Order: sequence, then structure tokens, then C-alpha cells
Amino acid sequence: MRRTRWFVWLVVVVAMVGAACGEADDPTTATGGDDNEAGSTTAAPTFDAGTTMARIQQKGEITVGVKYDQPGFGQQDPATGEVEGFDVEIAKLIAVAILGGDVDSVEDKIEFVESVSKNREPFIQDGRVDIVVATYTINDTRKQVIDFAGPYFVAKQDIMVRKDDTSIKAVDDLNGKKVCTAKGSTSEKNIRAKAPRADVLLFDGYDECKEALVDERVVAVSTDNTILAGYVDRSPDELKLVDNPFSDEPYGIGLKKGDEAFRDFLNDRLEEIFEGGQWGDAFESTLGQLGLETPDTPTLDRYGAAGGATTSTTGTGGTGGAGGSGSTSTTGASSTSSSTG
Amino acid sequence: MSITVALTLTSFAAALVIGTVVAAFRVSPVAPLRAAGAAWVEVLRNIPLSVLMLGFYFGFTKIDIRYGEFATAVIVLSAYTSSFVAETVRAGINSVARGQAEAARSIGLTFPQSLRVVVLPQAMRTVVAPLGSVFIALIKNSSLAGLIAVVELTDMADRISFDTARPIPAFLGAAVGYLLLALPSGAVVGLLERRAAIKR
Amino acid sequence: MEKVSKSFGPVKALQEVDLSVERGEVVVVVGPSGSGKSTLCRCINRLEPVDSGTVMIDGVPLPEEGKALAKLRADVGMVFQSFNLFAHKTVLENVTLGPTKVRGLSRSEARQRAMELLRRVGIDDKADRYPAELSGGQQQRAAIARALAMEPKLMLFDEPTSALDPEMIKEVLDVMTELASEGKTMVVVSHEMGFARSAAQRVVFMDDGRIVEVAPPDRFFSDPQSERAKDFLSKILAH
Repeated sequence: MRRTRWFVWLVVVVAMVGAACGEADDPTTATGGDDNEAGSTTAAPTFDAGTTMARIQQKGEITVGVKYDQPGFGQQDPATGEVEGFDVEIAKLIAVAILGGDVDSVEDKIEFVESVSKNREPFIQDGRVDIVVATYTINDTRKQVIDFAGPYFVAKQDIMVRKDDTSIKAVDDLNGKKVCTAKGSTSEKNIRAKAPRADVLLFDGYDECKEALVDERVVAVSTDNTILAGYVDRSPDELKLVDNPFSDEPYGIGLKKGDEAFRDFLNDRLEEIFEGGQWGDAFESTLGQLGLETPDTPTLDRYGAAGGATTSTTGTGGTGGAGGSGSTSTTGASSTSSSTG
Repeated sequence: MSITVALTLTSFAAALVIGTVVAAFRVSPVAPLRAAGAAWVEVLRNIPLSVLMLGFYFGFTKIDIRYGEFATAVIVLSAYTSSFVAETVRAGINSVARGQAEAARSIGLTFPQSLRVVVLPQAMRTVVAPLGSVFIALIKNSSLAGLIAVVELTDMADRISFDTARPIPAFLGAAVGYLLLALPSGAVVGLLERRAAIKR
Repeated sequence: MEKVSKSFGPVKALQEVDLSVERGEVVVVVGPSGSGKSTLCRCINRLEPVDSGTVMIDGVPLPEEGKALAKLRADVGMVFQSFNLFAHKTVLENVTLGPTKVRGLSRSEARQRAMELLRRVGIDDKADRYPAELSGGQQQRAAIARALAMEPKLMLFDEPTSALDPEMIKEVLDVMTELASEGKTMVVVSHEMGFARSAAQRVVFMDDGRIVEVAPPDRFFSDPQSERAKDFLSKILAH
């Protein structure tokens, strides 16, 4: 049922895009189309056969693992079932570059799959998802089993305490105290490294940590400032951020290990949205709403053999400029399509 | 692994005691005790263990009942398991011929005495095998203690999977760990069963 | 026993039954099956609570379930149709259980007295066997010893021979006859008319939950007054 709907949408969108260009049989010509400069609609580019991008394009949808419980990054709206957040926006911007369309319409061609921390690697390895965009900190252990594009964001690990707490001003102050963080987070390792005498309590998620903090079972919760900001934003009378970050957490896009062409494509696309302004827009509409200031764009880490070399597959469609409205072009497309139809 | 073992053994010992007392309540001639026993069993066995675990840990702090993580896990696992022990023991009690209890009372034993001296020892024989299943279920249920930050076997596997970014081997390891605990338990149950059957 | 009634659902097992038994008396209760004999017997030590009426022992009404009732039951021995020996205990342990747990006798004293009783009923050689290893007659004699060990004021026998093979009935009746001749107060529900004739002071005939006739055995068997008793006797004496 869902598949059928997507397929219908796919046909409609392809038809519209094609019709808008007046060249339904060759969508790639859209790269130079006028509407592309006016709005954010992109035509689907052509990729070399055998690449992951070509495969995704062929199946007409991209499967993306995101968090469903991470405010600001990937959080499911219980009313609509829609997932929202910065990670989701990044996923859409990636999808547009492969499947064409604009960030609104492309949503129908993305299958979001909830990825909790512990199933991220198997999801990628088994091909259950094409990419994981889920507050996924790049580290060497993980790089042994999967690869990362990015980082597309660098979070800073900080400490959250109860509003009335004045005893904790830096990570050192956590020594001898009970601190909460989530299982398997790099936050745990950082605390153990920087406050070795802290008593670290580990839960499945940060909701439990926040509860334990409010219940005075622990004196502090420590993890990425972006995550903590969400909690402080919702309970400003109870909680506060220490605001003394002690480590960098580069978030990357997880993909299958050894898929260099795909990784380069993702990195190139990230570079585009960094420079094109879409990255900043995405931040403002999501994390910015939690009171976080838009930071500088991060520096990509094109590690390994592939290095920074670009390949022919990076010939994506033109990037949409900031500003122009997608709806204008869509309207134009549908009117054209109705006139041809 | 040692935490899983400690958690399981402590909880099972407590569950046996509580469960047997609750079973006695359930067959008691005193109506309020029967009702209390039934309420205990129905409430505990019909709520998911994870809900009990998190509810007790986070919920009860709101009414100022506060225990550490391990203690909470033991309390919740004991209470939850006791409801299954109670039903198992009650079935065992019912399986003992009615005449046994009547004979016990007719020589002047009080109801609790007749239960303790005559009925329960006979009930325990039929109850050994099903209690073994309850015990093995408890071994596995102890994995939910990880929800409240008790580092038992599953939680350990969780951590190793994160540290190595290889969850499959980590959880396979945990599975082997549970098997190593459950299989000997099954063997011990078999042994106890044969021992209980000899005197029949 | 005054105006005792007891129902099981719609079935009226006892209807306003009056009966009193003197100290040292042996009363045999007879009647067709379903007449309420067993229920009468079980009401005397409140294994079945009565619906209405009073049961008194030594002038004291039976208390509610609890310690006091347990204490009273200790003074009323009961022998069941199906023996009901404690299956997980040896014959000796069956007999010593009550004296040690209820009377507070020392283990050795209880043991010594139990052995005497077992010798009296003729199964002292089976003291260390489990009930399942004994014949029905042996089990019933062990059950009598178990009841006697409490030194009861009153002994209740609820069809003690009904579950026995014919060749074992005599060994149990012999023990009961001996008890009767020693002056034990006994209420015996039984189909054994020979025992009733020889050991009873009074025979109580029940039918339909009521006591129909009470008479000394000679008169009851030779000259029953009620039609129902005549009918009953004609049926059981026909063969």
C-alpha cells in the first residue's frame, strides 16, 4: 500500500519535473533549466551504473535511519507520525541530490527507519538502510565496520544540572559524583576519561537520565550540548546547562564500509549545502528553535584512500539557491503538465 | 554475569518466600486474605516487567520511596516473580488431595500448620518442575534490570556492542551466557524432581 | 447437637438434626447412601461448617475456624473412609505428628507412645514404611493409631471400611470393637451391621438428612419402628 503510493508519487513528480522542462524523455537537461535557479527544485542527475546513487535512483526511494526520540535532530511527532529535526533535514537535502525534486516533495521518496544507537551498524551492514543520519559520532571503532561522510555537525559535550546547583562548573567537578548518560554513547567514554572518579549511571536514553536528575538520583547529566539544550528548553525552571564544553562530537553520515564513490558523493553534497546556505537554513528551522545559535559549518573529514578526489559521479544537478520558492516552480510545472496532458 | 547470577538468586529466594505466602493467602479460609492474595497476583503478573521496573524506579521516587538501582531491580523482580510462584504453588496445593488437609486439621493442626507441615511439602513435589520454568524465566527477565542501569548480562552486551560497534557478536555472547545459566538450572530442576519423587 | 442443618447448594444434607452422645457411648449411624450420615459425622468436628443449629462438645459450642477450633479438633479423633494418611510421611511420623506439633510432646516420648499404639493395632513392623507401601487395612489401622495418639475424648469413624477389600474389613473392625469395649466414646458411620449389632449401644437411622429412628441395636434390627427403616433393613439383609 505504502509502496504503491510512493510509486504513484514518483511517477507524478517525475512527470511534473519532466513536463516543467518540456523534455519528459530526458530529465537531466533540467540541470540547466531556468526554474532551477528560481527555486530549490532539482532534477535527478545521472549516475554511473553500479553506483549506490544509481541504485537508489532506480528503486526510486532512499532508506534513511534516523533517531525518533532526539529533540532537534530526529523526533517523531506523535500526532502526525512525521519525523522532524536537523538530521531529517540533512537526509532530505541528500535525497534531493539523488532523486531530484525539492526538500518538501522528496519526503515522499524517503523511507525513514528508526535507528536506535545499537542497531545503527547492523542496519548499515545488512543494507536495511542506505544511510544513517542519527547523531552518529564519528570514531575509529565504528570506522572499522562502517564508513562516515561528514561531519555535518560538531556537537560539544557539556553538562546539565539542576537549576539550583552551583557546585558543578566543569567536568572535573564530576569526580566522586553520580553522573548519568546513555549507554554506548561516546559521552560515557569522555566522562570516564576526563572525570575518572565519577560514578557513571547508564540508561537506554536521555529521558531516563533527565528523570534521574530531577529525582536527585544523579547530580548531572552529560552528553552533547545539542541534546541537553532540548531538555533545558522544555524545563527551564528545573534544569540548566553548565555551558563549559569539554569535547567535540563530530556527527557523520553512516554508510556501508568501502563504498568510496557514495562517500565522496555524500561529502560533495554536504559541501554544497554548507556553501549554498541550505545547511544554515536547516539548522535554524530545527536546532535553532531550541535556542542554539547557528555555528560555523564544520570541516569535512575526507579520510582514507579516496581522499578528496572527486569522481565523475559528483556531477550532480545544480544546487538550488537560497531564497526562491519551490512552490512557484511546482505550480508552473503542473500547469505546463496539464497543458501538455 | 555475576550480577545476573546475584540478581536472579536473590530475587528467586525472595520470590519463593513471598510467592508461597501469597499462595497460602489465596487458599486461606479468611476472605480478606484471599482477596489480598488475588490482588497481589493479578496486579503484578499483568503489568509488563519493564513498566514495573521503570515505574518503581522513577515513579516511586515521586512519593519518596527510593532504593538504589540493584535493590530496586531485586525488589521488582522478586515481586513480579512471586506472582508466578504463587500461582504455581497454588496449583500445587490444589493438586494435593483434599483429604490430606482434612486429616491434618482433624488431628488439631491449625490451617497454617496443616499447610506448612502436610500440604506444602506434598505440593512442592508437583511444583518443582514448573518452578524451574519460573526460575529460568527469571534469569531472562533479569535482563530488564539494565533499564535502570544495573550492569547485568544484557547491559554488558549492550556496552560491549557500543565499544566495539559490533552488536551481533556481543549479543551472541550474552545469549551464550544465558544458556550457560539456564541449562544447568534445568539440570538441577531435573535432579530435584527425581529426589522429590523417590519418597512417594 | 441441636437443630443442625446443612445444605450443599440445593441439596439439604442435614435438616434440623438433634443428637446427643453420652461419654463412653458407642453410636453407629446407618442409612442409605446420600442420607447425610457422613455430613453428620463431619459436622461434629466442623470439617463441614453448619448452616444453622449448634454443635457442642462437653457443653461448649464449636468455635469458628482458628486456634480454638484446632484445639478442640485435637480432642476429636477422626478416621476417614479413604484413610488420608500423610503421603509424604512414614507411618510412625503420621502417628507422632499430632502429639509433637499440637500436644508439644518430645520426639522420643511421642515415638514411644506411637510404637505402643502401632503394636496395639498390629502394624508396629510397618512403622518406617510410607503409606503407599501398605495395604488398605494396614493403612486404616495406622489412621486409627494416628487418631488415638491424640488421646481424643471422642472418635469419629466416617465409613472406615467402605474402601477396603472384604478380607481386610475384619482386621479394622476388630480394632474398633476392642476400642468400643474399652469404653471409648465413638460415633461410627458404617454399613457394617454386624459391628453395629455387637458394639453399639445405640443405632441411629438416617434418611433424607433427618434422623428417622434411634434405638438399641437389638430392637432396631429385630423390630424397627419406621417404615423407612424396615425398607432399608429388608434391602440390606436380603442377601
